[in-house]
Amino acid sequence: MSAKIEVKNLVKNFGSNKVLKNIDLTVDDNEVVVIIGPSGSGKSTLLRTLNKLEEPTSGTVIVDGINIADPKTDMNKVRENIGMVFQHFNLFNNLSVGANIMLAPVELKKLDKDAADKQAKKLLETVGLADKFDATVQSLSGGQQQRVAIARALAMNPDVMLFDEPTSALDPEMVGDVLAVMKKLAKQGMTMVVVTHEMGFAKEVADRVVFVADGKILEQGTPEAMFDHPQNPRLQDFLDKVLNV
Amino acid sequence: MHKRMQKSFFGIIILGMMLMCFSIFATKADAKTYEIGTDVTYPPFEFANDHNKYVGIDIDIINAVAKEEGFKVETKQVGFNGAVQSVQSGQLDGIIAGMTITKERQAKFDFGTPYFKTGVVMAVGKNSKIKSFTDLKGKKVAIKTGTAAAQYATSLKKKYGFKTVTFDDSDNMYQDVLTGNSVACFEDQPVMQYAINQGMKLKIVTKAANTGWYGFAVKKGTHSELIKMFNAGFAKIKANGTYNKIVGKYLGSKLNPALKGKTFTIGTDVTFPPFEFANSNNQYIGIDIDILKNIAQEQGFKVNIKPMGFNGSLQALESGQIDGMIAGMSITPAREKKIDFSDPYFMSGVVMATSTKGKITKLSQLRGKKVAIKTGTAGAQYANSIKKKYGFKTTTFDDSNNMYQDVLTGNSAACFEDQPVMQYAIKKGTKLQIVTKPAVRAPYAFAVKKGQNAALLAAFNAGLKDLKASGTYDDITAKYLGTENKKVADNGKDTDDRSFVGLLKQNKDALVSGFAETMWLTVVAIIFATVFGVLVGLLGAVPNKFCNGLSSTLIYIFRGMPLLVLALFIYTGIPSLTGQKIPAFVAGVLTLTLNEGAYIAAFVKGGIKAVDSGQMEAARSLGLPFGKAMRKVILPQGIKIMVPSFINQFIITLKDTSILSIIGILELTQTGKIIIARNLEGFKVWTIIAVIYLIVITLLTWLSNWVQKRTNV
Repeated sequence: MSAKIEVKNLVKNFGSNKVLKNIDLTVDDNEVVVIIGPSGSGKSTLLRTLNKLEEPTSGTVIVDGINIADPKTDMNKVRENIGMVFQHFNLFNNLSVGANIMLAPVELKKLDKDAADKQAKKLLETVGLADKFDATVQSLSGGQQQRVAIARALAMNPDVMLFDEPTSALDPEMVGDVLAVMKKLAKQGMTMVVVTHEMGFAKEVADRVVFVADGKILEQGTPEAMFDHPQNPRLQDFLDKVLNV
Repeated sequence: MHKRMQKSFFGIIILGMMLMCFSIFATKADAKTYEIGTDVTYPPFEFANDHNKYVGIDIDIINAVAKEEGFKVETKQVGFNGAVQSVQSGQLDGIIAGMTITKERQAKFDFGTPYFKTGVVMAVGKNSKIKSFTDLKGKKVAIKTGTAAAQYATSLKKKYGFKTVTFDDSDNMYQDVLTGNSVACFEDQPVMQYAINQGMKLKIVTKAANTGWYGFAVKKGTHSELIKMFNAGFAKIKANGTYNKIVGKYLGSKLNPALKGKTFTIGTDVTFPPFEFANSNNQYIGIDIDILKNIAQEQGFKVNIKPMGFNGSLQALESGQIDGMIAGMSITPAREKKIDFSDPYFMSGVVMATSTKGKITKLSQLRGKKVAIKTGTAGAQYANSIKKKYGFKTTTFDDSNNMYQDVLTGNSAACFEDQPVMQYAIKKGTKLQIVTKPAVRAPYAFAVKKGQNAALLAAFNAGLKDLKASGTYDDITAKYLGTENKKVADNGKDTDDRSFVGLLKQNKDALVSGFAETMWLTVVAIIFATVFGVLVGLLGAVPNKFCNGLSSTLIYIFRGMPLLVLALFIYTGIPSLTGQKIPAFVAGVLTLTLNEGAYIAAFVKGGIKAVDSGQMEAARSLGLPFGKAMRKVILPQGIKIMVPSFINQFIITLKDTSILSIIGILELTQTGKIIIARNLEGFKVWTIIAVIYLIVITLLTWLSNWVQKRTNV
């Protein structure tokens, strides 16, 4: 297995606030990495530096052998291969469900309109929303919106998917549908980096779990190792709070 | 419910009546102080001096009159049009603002005694080649709203084929000529002359036309006590020299201060009516005496007049016993050897007079008739010189009275006499009429000994000029010769129908073209302002600090500057800086583009920022470049937010075009000002203008709402 993403010595400051402190992280091809950690620990920021929605202060982020921390890198090209799903879905409010999915492939000339149309319908079927092609974004529930957002990201045919707390903003009964789609993706061998509080999902799907606190990776390993035998007292404390509600 | 409404209706009426009573009492209570409107800047009649105090001929006259008559005045510098309208609406009691007495104005105002002579002149740039009205074809001419000069210019417009640009004050009008936007301006003579004397780089190229008089005025049918007091007070300040001092203060050139307060002895003839003679109180009066006294008052010196006879005066002058001489003396080459003459103050000449009952009006009608003449006079010399040519005989008399009698009884068909002497006799009741133009012209002048009293001579010349300018000279000659009536400047006929429909009919063309200009200005300005505003707004939204800064600066400058200041800056400021003139319309569009564009930029920037930042992140995460993300995702959502602001801004733009009347653009508001300046129907015309604006804005709002519905969900 080769490294899909290689993060070295990554530092991110917001003014004087040090959010990421010398992070090193590798994600292999077809690997599903779940990042957990308390709120404000920097896990979302870490994820957002992987497609440069946040600019690294220093260090390197190499995706598919390209250093995206380098200002000369054409981020638009790199981003085409990295799909991202946001906590608040961020569907384009001015476009219909179908148009949301078709926009990027058509605008970036990956597909012609007909092909994009066909692909969008197929993707909607995969996420269980085949009948919503013409619906407006506003008419969908949160869970449905998030599944459309996943379909939209997949439309660019990426080889990495980033998930930024994809279920945090959802009503509990919607969470399952979204997780089911993500599990399906994982099974198909998609390289995924997921920031989530869904410990069940982490246990079941993750190849590796990474614990981030105070801008540092404090511990990482297989789900079994992490959940059954946590070493770091911070992780123990965190799991204690999250699992024994 | 019904009863309640009735109750509140009556309540409103009662409240209104109480307010009316209160205002009546209020005006009664401080009735002693009159509020008088004047122009803002109209030197030398009213202007702020170096200490920012309002001074000028108008201000000084009204204050002097008030002091004489024991009432109080407070002058309000509200601008000429403002003053006219305030007096008409009753907000001010009177107006003294270099206002020419015209027939049209007499329909709306009651005027006091005319106090200053005026006429309209055309001025051009100092180096301009324009010499007369005929040179104006196809060119632009600057005028000032509501002035007699503006009306005169308008009346010439068609005949000479020029266009007019209208301004609210003289300064902007002069500026327009100085920058070359207009080739000439029309202005009242005393004002123009004063401005040029003060260093304005213009020159007067025409004689004063459409001459008339300035008058103090109140609203017709009101304040008759104020007019009475003004007239009484004005007569007093004329008599006691205050008037001349005031005129001298502003028009008197910087003369030799050594003259001030000095007394000069001046010789004159014993009896030479109407130039000098003793009246029934044994006081010496006459044209010579009055002119000299008035000049002395105006120039600030004193005179001691000695009636020592013509020859006696001449000898005394030559021997240096007296300083000067004024005695109906004409300038001749022989006299000029020993005497220094002033500018001529009177042009005499020989005229022919006939009985008012007779039919003889021409020299050619004298053939075979007898003509009366007086021994040794210029009239006799002239009559003898043309005797053969016209074939008449002469009868000689020793004094004028007998000569007149001979004509009155019909023995002689006519007589020849010096013009002023004849005019004076006619004024005194002799039933003769002057039928020819003066011949053998003889200029009368004030005299000093050659090489002596140069300062006195200079003061006489300067004072004479000012006397002529103020009209005092006309007053004096009219008093003795009774010909020159104070003319009412005529600006054509008054139109009668003053109803709304009548006003609309009369001014239909003006209103339509003003409306068209407003709409054209609005549409062009909206297009440019939208383009400019959207561009600057986008600059403020792109992720680039330089662009953001540029956008913020542009918005800060052009949103922070009052539209009026910006308009004046662009129109008059930029040509002064670059030497490149800007047409008013272009300057207007540029002003609106920058100002309205800045507001548009601000809400475009705001609208873009109001779109959730997640939208941009999602678009960018898919690999869409910034521009595409902006166009496909952010702007469609931002515009939805901006649409109400756009509609609002379009309406504001339409209304703001009215401010551009300041730079002379003939749009709807300026059209209204010009119509009102002519017919003084402020309330009705402004109502018409206001309704037109409201109708257009209503239509624009409907259109916008329709567009909004069509483009929106």
